[in-house]
Amino acid sequence: MIRINDVTKKFPTVTALQNISLTVADGEFFGLLGPNGAGKSTLMNLLIGYLDPDGGEITVGDDKVTRDNLEARKNIGLVPQSLALYDDISAQENLEIFGSFYHIEKRTLRHRIEERLRAVELYDRRKDRVSTFSGGMKRRLNLIASLLHDPSLLLCDEPTVGVDPQSRNAIFDYLEMLNCAGKTIVYTTHYMEEAERLCTRIAIIDSGTIITEGTLDDLLAKLSYEESISIIKNSSTIGKLELFRQFGTVIDDDDRFELKPNGTFRLSSFFKSVEEQGVSTRFIEMSKPTLEALFLNLTGRSLRD
Amino acid sequence: MKTVLALITKEYKLFLSDRVAMGLTFLIPIFLIAIWGSIFGSADSGPEHLGLAFLNASSAPIGRNIEKVLDTTRTFRLVKSYQDERGNQIPFDTVTIKDYVRKGNASAALVIPPDAYTDTSIGLKLKFYYDPKNEMEMRIIQGVLTQTIMSQLPGAFIEGMQRKAVRFLGLDSGTAFNTGIKSLVSRYFNIDTGKIVFPSLTDTTAASSRESKGGRDFFKNVLDFESEQLVGKNIANPMATRSVGGWAMMFLMFTLTASSVSLFEEKQSGVVLRILASPISRVQILWSKYLYNMSLGFVQLTVLFVFGSILFKIDVLSNLAGLILLLVAASMACTSFGMLLSAVSKTQSQARGLGTFLILAMSSIGGAWFPTSFMPGFIQAFSKLTLVYWSMDGFLQVLWRGAPVVDILPNLGVLVGIAAVITSVSVLQFKKGHVF
Repeated sequence: MIRINDVTKKFPTVTALQNISLTVADGEFFGLLGPNGAGKSTLMNLLIGYLDPDGGEITVGDDKVTRDNLEARKNIGLVPQSLALYDDISAQENLEIFGSFYHIEKRTLRHRIEERLRAVELYDRRKDRVSTFSGGMKRRLNLIASLLHDPSLLLCDEPTVGVDPQSRNAIFDYLEMLNCAGKTIVYTTHYMEEAERLCTRIAIIDSGTIITEGTLDDLLAKLSYEESISIIKNSSTIGKLELFRQFGTVIDDDDRFELKPNGTFRLSSFFKSVEEQGVSTRFIEMSKPTLEALFLNLTGRSLRD
Repeated sequence: MKTVLALITKEYKLFLSDRVAMGLTFLIPIFLIAIWGSIFGSADSGPEHLGLAFLNASSAPIGRNIEKVLDTTRTFRLVKSYQDERGNQIPFDTVTIKDYVRKGNASAALVIPPDAYTDTSIGLKLKFYYDPKNEMEMRIIQGVLTQTIMSQLPGAFIEGMQRKAVRFLGLDSGTAFNTGIKSLVSRYFNIDTGKIVFPSLTDTTAASSRESKGGRDFFKNVLDFESEQLVGKNIANPMATRSVGGWAMMFLMFTLTASSVSLFEEKQSGVVLRILASPISRVQILWSKYLYNMSLGFVQLTVLFVFGSILFKIDVLSNLAGLILLLVAASMACTSFGMLLSAVSKTQSQARGLGTFLILAMSSIGGAWFPTSFMPGFIQAFSKLTLVYWSMDGFLQVLWRGAPVVDILPNLGVLVGIAAVITSVSVLQFKKGHVF
């Protein structure tokens, strides 16, 4: 179990985390969702003991995580956001190097390397230099390099950045398989789709504070409406902003208005009003609320900002 | 054209964004020009205060004259005594002055022996002992010495001849003979005797300029200049043996600087974070880097010296233990230097720029390019703070002088000390630094 208790981390020009408290149970697939710069990576760096908090405390199992407590790291695997690999040597050599840091018996390490390479479909390329790999292949290698010591806790810091959909799905499948096998996974992302697909529990972080947390259903239930309404921007809708505002809060996004319905919202009266004002219903989309909508609701900003 | 201008603007913006790297771009050439300028800058400049062991055992006036001229010339600093174990200054004798040179305390010694010049002799005898550990320095010493001594010969010779004539013939006949001999000398040796004057003893340049070519040809025959090389006589390739240490150190520092700044690459790629996510501490990373770089440096130096022994016949086997100890100490010091660069620099380009600057600076003032004795006094003081100086001096001791291990203990001590101090500073800097 991970316990993050009132953790604060400050850098010379910014407070990256402010009084964060979280608990992650064993076997959970926990998502940390937030825009860039929200403090996700800082929290990961604290969880791995790369940084020490300025206040508060983090424990993983019975071990307090600090920069000097090497013992705590033995059961943690980190998938860094960057491709932390040596480009000029082969995939297998990379894994042998990273595996050697954990003093794994040679035969066991060799067996694990083969097994992990096969699992992410890189076994046939194991002797090729990493520099010849595609971005997706490097991402998969980056992932399994963190699993050679068979950690019970895996920290994934945006592990799919810049990855093609096929590799992303392969990574998702593999992580789900690991989670099913009992590993606890903490997964940071600014893609709500990833958090929605993978995570059993999610915390939304913004500007160094946790603004909400819970299961996906818990979080979506925090929205006061059941339908999310998007109005595509065009010549017939742009001038109708005041009309839309009668039905709820409108967020002016790039190519559309996002309408967060208020408590008295009735779908029938909304459609009737917009049609009377000459707005074609073709430009109105309805969908189930998402974490994106929740984030907008809570912060007034998009996750992509 | 607009596109090219935009690209040029981009280059300048990037260049100006790293102020340290930008500063070094100008600082490096300015520093090197200043060093070279201070040594070879103007026509009347040159090495000053080169240590020259000196013993005047003669009572002849010419001996005193030579001593006086050498004492006043700015090229030399005459050393006439040595310090014994108790710290007392003991004047040289004919044995101790040679030991002084053999031990490397001075590159050369000039001895004016008791029989250098007598009333019955017609020439001047001098003894010159030298250690050509640095060829450039030796050539300058020999050149200036020859010039100084030759400037004294015409007057001494004429004076001696006149005294002899007076002694043998009496005052009147002697004076008549002296007048006659002038015309004889002039006729047979093609010398304008009117130009033979007693030169100013304090103005060697003027004296030299008054010499005629015919005069030099004549007087060199009356100078018995007995020279003896005291050190390095049996060395097969003096040039290579002398220079190998300096060049080896320079390349070693470049190699280890490049290797040390690889920490920046590892940080940028995220590998440092991955390593630190495993049960490995920062100190362990530093030590592994240190030991790796040190071993790399040791292997590089070893290969270089083995290569030198095969190709240039540098004798590496006669004092193998001393050489190996020096290789280890030099590798340690150079590795620390590389680590310090990584620790104090904020970016890889800063580390490289600072490294290049310090390597060239240390190589130039440390004596890898030209003798430290050629440099102004304040730079000579700085040269002893460089690991290049102590390494080069150690290599010279071992390879040139064949010094035993005990003689290079100060060099080993200073190099290990430099390594210890710099490593400690680096570790402290790393703890609060930018790399980790």
